[in-house]
Amino acid sequence: MGVLALSRLAAEAGGSGAPLVTLLGVLVSTGGLRILTKLGTRFPRESIVGYSTRLIGPWCAAVISGVMVLFFAALTALTAREFAEVVVTSVLTRTPVEVTTLTMLLLTALSSRANMTSFAYAHLFYLPFVMPGLLIVVLSTKNGDYLNLLPLIGNAPQVGSFVVGALAISALFQGAFIMAFVIPAMRQPEKAMRSVLWGIGVAGGLYLLIVLATVAVFGAEATREFLWPTLELARMTLLPGEVLERLDAAFLVVWVTAVFTTLYSTYNLTLRAARDLFRMEDHRPFALFLLPYIMLMAMLPTDVVHLYLVMRRRSRTGTIGLGAARGRTDDE
Amino acid sequence: MTVWQRLFRRGGQRLSGAVAPEQWLEEHQHLAYDGHLDHAVNLLEDLLGVNDDLVIRSFRVFGQHPAVLVYFSNLVNREVINEQILWPLMQSQPSSENDRGRTRPHDAELTQRVMEEAIYYGEVHTEREYVKMVEALYRGEPLLLVAGASVGILLATRNVAQRSVEEPQTEQVIRGGRDGFTELLSTNITLLRYRLQTPNLRVKMVTIGRMTKTKIAVCYVEGIVQPALLKEVEDRLKAVDVDGIFDAGTLEQFIEDNHWSPFPQVQNTERPDKCAVSLLEGRVVILTDGTPFALIVPAVFAQFYQTPDDYSERPVMASLIRLVRIVALTFSLVFPSLYVSVIAFNPELIPTKFAVAVAGGRAGVPFPAVVEVLLMEVTMEVLREATLRVPQQVGGALSIVGVLVIGQAAVSAGFASPITVVVVALTTIGSFATPAYNAAVALRILRFLLTCLAGVFGLYGVMIGLILITHHMLSLRSFGVPYLSPIVPGDWQGTKDTWIRAPLWWMPKRPAHLQPANRRRVGDGTLRDVMQRPSHPLDPVHPRKGR
Repeated sequence: MGVLALSRLAAEAGGSGAPLVTLLGVLVSTGGLRILTKLGTRFPRESIVGYSTRLIGPWCAAVISGVMVLFFAALTALTAREFAEVVVTSVLTRTPVEVTTLTMLLLTALSSRANMTSFAYAHLFYLPFVMPGLLIVVLSTKNGDYLNLLPLIGNAPQVGSFVVGALAISALFQGAFIMAFVIPAMRQPEKAMRSVLWGIGVAGGLYLLIVLATVAVFGAEATREFLWPTLELARMTLLPGEVLERLDAAFLVVWVTAVFTTLYSTYNLTLRAARDLFRMEDHRPFALFLLPYIMLMAMLPTDVVHLYLVMRRRSRTGTIGLGAARGRTDDE
Repeated sequence: MTVWQRLFRRGGQRLSGAVAPEQWLEEHQHLAYDGHLDHAVNLLEDLLGVNDDLVIRSFRVFGQHPAVLVYFSNLVNREVINEQILWPLMQSQPSSENDRGRTRPHDAELTQRVMEEAIYYGEVHTEREYVKMVEALYRGEPLLLVAGASVGILLATRNVAQRSVEEPQTEQVIRGGRDGFTELLSTNITLLRYRLQTPNLRVKMVTIGRMTKTKIAVCYVEGIVQPALLKEVEDRLKAVDVDGIFDAGTLEQFIEDNHWSPFPQVQNTERPDKCAVSLLEGRVVILTDGTPFALIVPAVFAQFYQTPDDYSERPVMASLIRLVRIVALTFSLVFPSLYVSVIAFNPELIPTKFAVAVAGGRAGVPFPAVVEVLLMEVTMEVLREATLRVPQQVGGALSIVGVLVIGQAAVSAGFASPITVVVVALTTIGSFATPAYNAAVALRILRFLLTCLAGVFGLYGVMIGLILITHHMLSLRSFGVPYLSPIVPGDWQGTKDTWIRAPLWWMPKRPAHLQPANRRRVGDGTLRDVMQRPSHPLDPVHPRKGR
């Protein structure tokens, strides 16, 4: 979902070195996910909540899991809110943001009652929906100027800002944490690592292409100014044959699936972590029970600017917190 | 004797009241024929004598042993009874050596002699209990009781009005067999056995329905079908306890997985060739007596837009036609909702000239786009239903009225804009291009849901609706098979027969989602032989070369 603001994050951190920042971010999250997956394959029958109890003791594990539940509940809420803001700004201008947020959350909550198999099927089914993203990239190449991408490391590269940007981008992959709960449901957990690398490859590759295209078309300075540069990119793009006058609304609508899969993952993560934390058999009772709280959380930020401020803080704590947790569990 | 009298008195008293014969028989389940002809006749008369078409014909077997033939005159083949049963039985035959000098022959021997020497008819079996005999009488099997024998002989000479094998009305093909199932189960099994002449084709009979006693045939190919699937089918059939099964559709509702889903999870067909192909894929076919429709389980969504024509035509043509059908299917689902959301929410998406034309057409229409489309859709549905139910003689008049209402008049009355009419017409045509009627109806229902969502949330709503539908389909199972197989979960072999129809030699394996016991259907060498450059015996330049 963060894809809409992705190029802005990258350009703010690295100027024309934005693609490099993205690549770094992808690499950081690959590292994190590799650790997580390795840990998961070592305990192929348990979720992270289960084996953390054995690794770091019940009390520590309960605290960490509790924080994890809260964290991913917040992530779900903020993602839903962000998308609702996008929809309200560009497609349904007269609809209150509460309504769009609620529809999205409701859709997610209802779908989350399904079991893990259906969860996996859904993600497989929506895989071809990365195509519109690719299409936009391909169609926008004719507007691009490769000079905008030079110098490759940015005009005044600063290690600090590169690292911050890379961490911010790796935070976009936090949904992939669902692996910790998918592995116990796998038929061949030993293949988990390969699928994780594939997943990161596809998602990271698409991210990289989008950042490349955005910066090439607008230049780093303009990219920084846009709230959602990817949406602007879609707005610039024309389908050959002029069947559709503009692509942004159509793009946004197809993008609902991407947002939905993100929400679906994080919501499921929250539910399953809560289920394991409270030692319940079934995650379903939580599906509707958590909904009002997440909705409330989604409504806390006052506007888009505030929303992004909150999101940035959250993603930083998240990356650091999750990183620490991962490091801790791996050492033990 | 006294036992008998008591029984009869009790039976008689009961029967004179309002006790139904079936209940009485159920209470006396083990009551058996013991050779006393008079008692048996009395009992049967008490039980069934109210029916005027019951015939009890007394005669003497071989001119000496008293016997009766009991049957319902309208259920049996009278010609067979007269010529192949009564006539030879009434011939007096020289008694065999053992009989001479004995007044009462050994009963087993008498039965054997009657069956082996005197009845010129194939399907014969014996029963002891009255329950079974009465059941058989109602199946249309005359009952032969001989004094002194301890069993009743039943002759399967049923004669039920029957139509001939005709071309199926609901599934017509351009190329392929023209025979379709009829109402009679025996005919249908014949048609199926004719297509699959292998001892591996098994037909198991089950009777369902307390009153209708409907015969259900479970057909499968041993060695291909997954035994677990077969067991599940049998278990689900066993669980059905109802007074009447009148149609395959009634049965379907008892054995399907999700009863509230709009999507059909069992395929039905009138075509024996379709059944035969399904059997070879590892599916189970359920035939129901009294209906020309067979049920095929398990069913996945892809099956509902495939036709037998896809396989009899060559792959390129078949694939194109199948793609057209998929487009039509998608049209029938999303076209009106896309139209509504583009017109009402995002007119900037469509080219300006077209947008102006649409706005011009809608100028006189007083309703919002969603109301207009829903009105026209409902009108169209009403028209479709009316055309289906109206007597054929009136049909022509109806279609003229329909065309006028839907077309010209609605537009000139300012009721709808021309473009709406086009959209609704395209949608309806799209839904008629779906080969399976029940799947088309499912999508038609969901189309209304999507249109309403489009009216409220625009394109965003359409997408929400589509995600809901997708999720529902992803969670559906038909006998454990995921409904969207082989797309999700992915299976390369199956995908070759989903979007396109790959060449037959390129699909050497049966669909994996059915977990067949034997996967290969095309022989190993076939691919090599088929792809080999052919010899050209009639080549004008280099004749008889090659090979």
